[in-house]
Amino acid sequence: MRNSYQTIPAVITKISPQTDNIKLFRFEFEKKSFKISGDDFIFRPGQFLILSLPGWGEAPFAPCNRLGEELELCVRSVGRLTRKLHSLKIGDKVGLRGPYGNGWPLNDLSQIANSKSSEKKNLLIIVGGLGLIPLRTLILGKKEFLGKDAKIQIFYGAKHPSEMLFSSEYKDWRKNGVDLQLTIDASCPEWRGCVGLVTKLFDAAKVVENARAFVCGPPVMYKSVIEKLKEKKFEEEDIYLSFERRMHCGIGVCQHCGVGNFYTCKHGPVFEYGLIKNTLGAI
Amino acid sequence: MNNAQLRKFFDKIKEDRVVFGPAIQDGKTIIKKIDDFRDLKLDGRLPIFSFKRFFLPEKESLFEYVGVNLSKPSERKTQKIALFGVNARDLKSILIYDQVFEKDPWYQERRENILVIGQMSATSEGKWEKIEEDLFEHLSFDIFLARFAPALDGLSPGESTRDSEPKRARISGDNDLTVFSGSVLGREVLENSGYNDFIHIQFSGPVKEKGIDKRMLRIKEKLEKQHDQAIWDRLGARCIECGKCSIVCPTCFCFRIDDQAELGRGRAERDDRSDNQGTRNRCWDSCFYQEFSELSGGHKFLNTTAKKIHFWYFHKFVRIPEEFDMVGCVGCGRCAEVCPVGIDIKEVLKEIEES
Ligand SMILES: Cc1cc2nc3c(=O)[nH]c(=O)nc-3n(C[C@H](O)[C@H](O)[C@H](O)COP(=O)(O)OP(=O)(O)OC[C@H]3O[C@@H](n4cnc5c(N)ncnc54)[C@H](O)[C@@H]3O)c2cc1C
Ligand code: SF4
Ligand code: SF4
Ligand code: FES
Repeated sequence: MRNSYQTIPAVITKISPQTDNIKLFRFEFEKKSFKISGDDFIFRPGQFLILSLPGWGEAPFAPCNRLGEELELCVRSVGRLTRKLHSLKIGDKVGLRGPYGNGWPLNDLSQIANSKSSEKKNLLIIVGGLGLIPLRTLILGKKEFLGKDAKIQIFYGAKHPSEMLFSSEYKDWRKNGVDLQLTIDASCPEWRGCVGLVTKLFDAAKVVENARAFVCGPPVMYKSVIEKLKEKKFEEEDIYLSFERRMHCGIGVCQHCGVGNFYTCKHGPVFEYGLIKNTLGAI
Repeated sequence: MNNAQLRKFFDKIKEDRVVFGPAIQDGKTIIKKIDDFRDLKLDGRLPIFSFKRFFLPEKESLFEYVGVNLSKPSERKTQKIALFGVNARDLKSILIYDQVFEKDPWYQERRENILVIGQMSATSEGKWEKIEEDLFEHLSFDIFLARFAPALDGLSPGESTRDSEPKRARISGDNDLTVFSGSVLGREVLENSGYNDFIHIQFSGPVKEKGIDKRMLRIKEKLEKQHDQAIWDRLGARCIECGKCSIVCPTCFCFRIDDQAELGRGRAERDDRSDNQGTRNRCWDSCFYQEFSELSGGHKFLNTTAKKIHFWYFHKFVRIPEEFDMVGCVGCGRCAEVCPVGIDIKEVLKEIEES
């Protein structure tokens, strides 16, 4: 019988530091017959997987890129497991299980894009802090996931310029037609852009039209972002939020990630706003 | 089945299974390993603890690890056991485990080795709602022993049977047990023990034809659509988050997964394949505990007592019904019995219903 808690050994093939305490790790599965490109471990943007370092535990992470037989995880060092992971070197091994959850609703998006109708084919991404991670696969695979005509606008807020993730890629993203708007929480000498919370960008930039909104960030961010989206006349069914909750099983059993009627791991982590707006403790 | 036959049946089962069942200790009904048939008390009373730990132990090792590799624990024992005398309420909770842990290999392995012998004594039931006539078809058991005659002795500790009336004797003589089989295994065990006078009951799934109980549906709807914060604030002010209710509740099965490094191995005697060895364990958890919803950095979603109790009720009366068409509470009343501040689920449900 299939064991959902069994992990598959993967090897670290590359490590790129992003900020003081965030590193981007690249992995490939140890067993070459186990294919990411095949059906073995296929993941959609917005899904997550669980990384295991026996002795240090397990935790959920959102893969942020798929490169042939490799995948990338961007991890902040905050506790037991993540500190241990940060101490590892190329060639060291971890265990992975998943992917879990639903991911961003993309199927109908690319369908709309292909159908040439002008409806909601664009995407407004509003993210804070680590929230950018689960959207990177989508940004990098824009053509594949959204169709080539779709526009992506990103509102990204970070505490400090040095905490901005994937900053070396911004030039390429922009070249690829992504409208990237950045803000930092408090002014500092080396920053000349927008200063303020991510919601400030709604006023600083012209918001992309015919768009759905994908939101991911720290728990405190959601309420104010939703308010802004409503102000800008986004419909409830066009707003999607990715939640972070404590997780242990990843398959809707242990209860840690329960939110109202739902399990974040199983029914989420991405929720349509209309579905959970009245759920106590969701937002 | 008369007492002599019951004894023979018991002894036969004990030949190849370790038997656990209800017994009396210090005037209280408990569950223990039964070596002597005379210790077994089939009076339908609820034991203080349920049979939960036989299905979902407090702690079990899921894997042994070496480096990052996980493998099946080597000393995992798959002992054949018999639960002799599981009351109808605890049988109902087995239905819930069977659904929730359907895809769980450790549960399934354990489950296959458990022979479930249910029991009912007409007068000891009916604490909340009367056990329905069609109950049998919707409980999962291997064998069921029913005493339809008037009760043998008094009431369970702390339990009132005011609203229950002795059912008239049916089918069998006064103190005899009427025997049902509910599975192929049950049938075989009965026949092997030389007892053939039993009725086979076809298990027709955990859900009754008429669906989930109307009152429970009403409670689910209230919880979902007519949240009354005052109820939860009042409960939050009383509850001291001791977590006892979740320990005794047969349908509380939250767990956490923890790694435990192997102790006692010095560098010299360590397996040289890797110095990282140990076990990955699954242990009971409780939504009343501080860390339950905590993220690294300290943010807690269940950051008040009121939110924790609400979460507890939501699991039983909304999430489980939503997922499995069953109520996540079997009405055993154990949570009320252990609560140090006297929170009684029966009263809470009434409040929710009337809110
Ligand atoms: C769907 C999802 C996607 C995530 N994606 C990323 C990502 O791409 N990059 C990243 O850096 N972080 C991500 N996180 C957060 C990451 O899971 C936590 O930072 C991580 O669990 C911390 O583990 P730790 O052992 O180092 O911390 P500790 O504080 O030592 O954690 C101890 C325990 O708490 C649990 N725990 C603590 N925080 C969380 C949490 N946020 N979610 C679940 N369990 C938690 C751990 O599993 C562990 O059991 C994600 C979380 C979720 C729910
Ligand atoms: S009555 Fe209390 S202890 Fe019994 S099943 Fe319901 S919630 Fe659990
Ligand atoms: S037993 Fe009573 S006080 Fe203890 S956690 Fe449960 S409801 Fe709260
Ligand atoms: S992580 Fe266990 S229920 Fe979601």
